[in-house]
Order: sequence, then structure tokens, then C-alpha cells
Amino acid sequence: MLALSIMSEEGGFTLAHFAEFVSEPYYLGVLWRTIRLSVIITLIAALVGFPLAYVMARSGPRSRLWLIIVILLPLMTSVVIRTFGWMVIFERGGIISGTLYDLGLVKRNFTLMRTETAIVIGMVQVLLPFMTLSILGVITRIDQRLEEAARTMGCSFLQSFRHVVLPLSMPGIAAGSLLAFTLSASSFVTPSLLGGPRLQVLASSIYSSVTQTLDWHFAAAQAVILFLGIALTLIPYFRLTGGQHG
Amino acid sequence: MVKAIPLWLKIANYVFIALIVVLMLAPLVVVVGTSFSANQFISFPPKGFSLEWYRKVLSSNAYLGSAGLSLAIALMVTVSSVVIGGAAAIAIHRRELPKSELLSALFLSPLILPTIIYAIGLLMFWSATFGRVSFVTLWIGHTAITLPYVVRTTLAVLTESDPFIEEAARTMGAGRLQRLFFVVLPQCRPGLAAGAFFAFNISFDEAVLSLFLRTPDLTTLPVQIYGQLEFSPDPSVAAVSTIMIALTVLLILVIDRVLGIGKFAST
Repeated sequence: MLALSIMSEEGGFTLAHFAEFVSEPYYLGVLWRTIRLSVIITLIAALVGFPLAYVMARSGPRSRLWLIIVILLPLMTSVVIRTFGWMVIFERGGIISGTLYDLGLVKRNFTLMRTETAIVIGMVQVLLPFMTLSILGVITRIDQRLEEAARTMGCSFLQSFRHVVLPLSMPGIAAGSLLAFTLSASSFVTPSLLGGPRLQVLASSIYSSVTQTLDWHFAAAQAVILFLGIALTLIPYFRLTGGQHG
Repeated sequence: MVKAIPLWLKIANYVFIALIVVLMLAPLVVVVGTSFSANQFISFPPKGFSLEWYRKVLSSNAYLGSAGLSLAIALMVTVSSVVIGGAAAIAIHRRELPKSELLSALFLSPLILPTIIYAIGLLMFWSATFGRVSFVTLWIGHTAITLPYVVRTTLAVLTESDPFIEEAARTMGAGRLQRLFFVVLPQCRPGLAAGAFFAFNISFDEAVLSLFLRTPDLTTLPVQIYGQLEFSPDPSVAAVSTIMIALTVLLILVIDRVLGIGKFAST
């Protein structure tokens, strides 16, 4: 809550730090990687989260309860711990590379650590609950009789899914995607642990500016850039939710 | 004649659900599995079985110290967040204060404002005004990011509650404070309880804010784990993490008992 007032203080510095950011190809690369990864992560989360939310909404109370637990338990576990789990899985000789090696699918042992693939998988796991719960809220409000009507009039299941459910759940998908995008653009625990120091994103670059190079002005400039980017994405979000709740 | 759902789609559905379960739970399963390993290095599937790493954790001052700090902060944050958030929710609900809409946006803003931006703002603001970061800074920071959850859950309960009960109490001569304690607060209780669980859980697991505000003697448990992961993880990290996961499971069970998990997920 204090943050907004603090942010304006930070903006009071000279523009030199912003110039530093823009003129340095390295940081532009960081920015580009942040945007690119966030878009990919959001897309995957939406592609997986929408059918998942639909299955949850239309399944019986018992199986829905189990699905909710599957979503909630990781959501309520610290991101640090979940990232640790992925580190063990992706490690050289870990489950993925070990299994593929044993099956003879890859020639030598490899590691997924310090790759963008690792970041994407880890982040999708983090963001899927947010996406699914946003869409679930919308789907449960869709009148099921609309689907039934479409089906009695000769639509196949997939047709009614495509022409009835999908358009009606668009608000949920859009809200969930914007939320996922802002969260993934600003997260740094998962990217910095799975991506390592060479695959920096904006948030991890801010963190190293604060803790390692101790260049607070530059860190603030980067934070302002991140904030502006996120504010721009959030404007349509507020339009969608009518500004009622986050 | 209604066309049946094709068989391949039903099969695809089960495969899809199985994949989701793997994606969501794999990291947790791996962490828990690794913690019982008898091996010197982190490996999954675990080799052998031992409780060696738990013994090591429980005799490590670094882990116990940061666990104590995390617990203390989480408990204090729960109290402050419930008091402030509950009061805010009641005030927003009644629209007695001017600019109620604005107030509600203010209290919910930490939910969408990325924690990293809030963290860096708080760090700079605190250093410029009060100097060294302390326990209090962490407390304030955690309270701010957990407030929206309390406000939301309490508001959700209040909007469903019957406003005429308070009216009735008033006609029967109950004073302002009496009405607050005997009517309004009991009405809010499920919301406050849910908010309290959220606040405790979020504060206990929070890493971003705590990483920015960390000092050598102000290291919460997630930060301690993060530090270990950056350098030399051994299975004792997995043991600590497993204890934290167990705590989360316990918390979810309690929430389910008190409120019912289905209702909880809809907020």
C-alpha cells in the first residue's frame, strides 16, 4: 500500500539510469527475454488451465475436491521448495535425463538446468493454479443449459465446447492470462534458480543490482521499467474485472 | 439424438488429468523422497532410507533459528493482518467512510502489485527514513502483502450476511460496541478465519520480500533454503522443505475442517 508513494520518490532521480538500461544491449536482452518467456509461459498456462478448469467445473463433487487439492497444495507451498524439486528433476542424471538416457533416446547425459525450458516448466507449475482458479470462477457461472441446448440441436461435444463454452469463458481466460503475465514477468526465485546467473530476467537482474552490485539507483530504474510494463498490462485487466476485485 | 462424447476424448481427459497431477505434484514428491535418502548427495529416486537428514536439521542452529524467526513473524503477521484487514473490511462494507472505493482499491493493491516492486520500494524507503532493516520492517512488509487476502475473505462473508440482524440488535438497545462484538464480529468469523490461515501461510512461505530485506541475523526459513540452493544443496534442505510441506498439508486439513475446502477455493 505504501508502495505507490514510494515509487514516485524513485522516479525523482535523473534519467541517467534509464539511459544506462536502454543503451546497454545486455539489459535490453534481459528485457526481451523477460517479455518473451512471460508470453510463452502465459500461453501454455492458458492452454492447459482452460481445459483443466472446464473438467473441474463439470466433474462430480468428489473428483472436483481432489482436483482442487492437487491445485491448492502446490499453491500453498513455498515457491522456493517447488523450485528445489524441479532442480532435482532437471539435474544431470536426474529423472528426466536419466530416463531418456536409459531408454536410449539421447546419446549422452544432459541437463535441463540453466535452460529456458526449465524456467518455462517451473513457472507454468507456479502459475497454473492462478490461471485455473480465475477461469473456474467464470465457467461455474455459465448456464449449463446453454451447452445442453447446443448439444440437442446437433452440436458434437467439441463443437459446443468451441462455440459455447470458449466464448463465454473468455473474460476468465483474459483475466487469468493478464494475472499470469504480470506474475511471471515479476517473479525471480524460479528463473534465477532454474536459469542460473547467465539467463537473467528483469526481476533477477533487479535483485542482483540490489544485493550484489549494490547499485540501488539502477535497481530502482529497472523496477520502474518493470512497474510501467506491468501497469500497462493491468489497465485492460481492470477494465475486465470492472475494478471490483484483484 | 444427442451425439455422445467420443471415446478418444474421454481417454484424452484421463491422460490430461494424469499429466496435470504429475506436473503439479512432481516437485513436491521429489523433495519429500529426497529427504529420506541415505545418499550423501541429492538424488531421486532416493537410494536407501534414513532419517539422518532430519537429525541434522533438528540439530542445526541455522535452520532452527530461521524457523523460529519465520514462525514468530508469521504469527505476528497473522494477528496484525486480521486486525487491520478485518477493520478495513468492515469499514469498506458499510461505506461509512468517504472514498470507500478508493480505500478498497488501496487495501487490495498489494495483490496485483508485484511483490518485487513492493519489496524494493520498502527497502529503499526504510533505509532512507529509518536506517537499518529490522524485524519490524519484515513484519510491516509481510502484513502489507497478506492484508488483501484478509480483506477479501472478510468482505466475501460480510456481503452474504444479513444486515438486519444488526438493525434488530440496535432496536433492542444494543450500543455500538455491543453490536460490534456480539453481532458484526461473529458474522465475520469465517472470513477472518480463512484470512488468518492465508496470512499465516503466505507469510511463512514468503521468499521475495524476505530476500530483499535479509540481513545476517534476519533470515527466514525460505530465505535460508534459497541460500542453500544457490550454493551447495544437500538432502538436509529437502528435509526442511518436507517439514514445511507437512505444515502446509496440516494447514489445509485444518482449513477443510473449519471452513470446507470447496468454499475456500471459490474466494
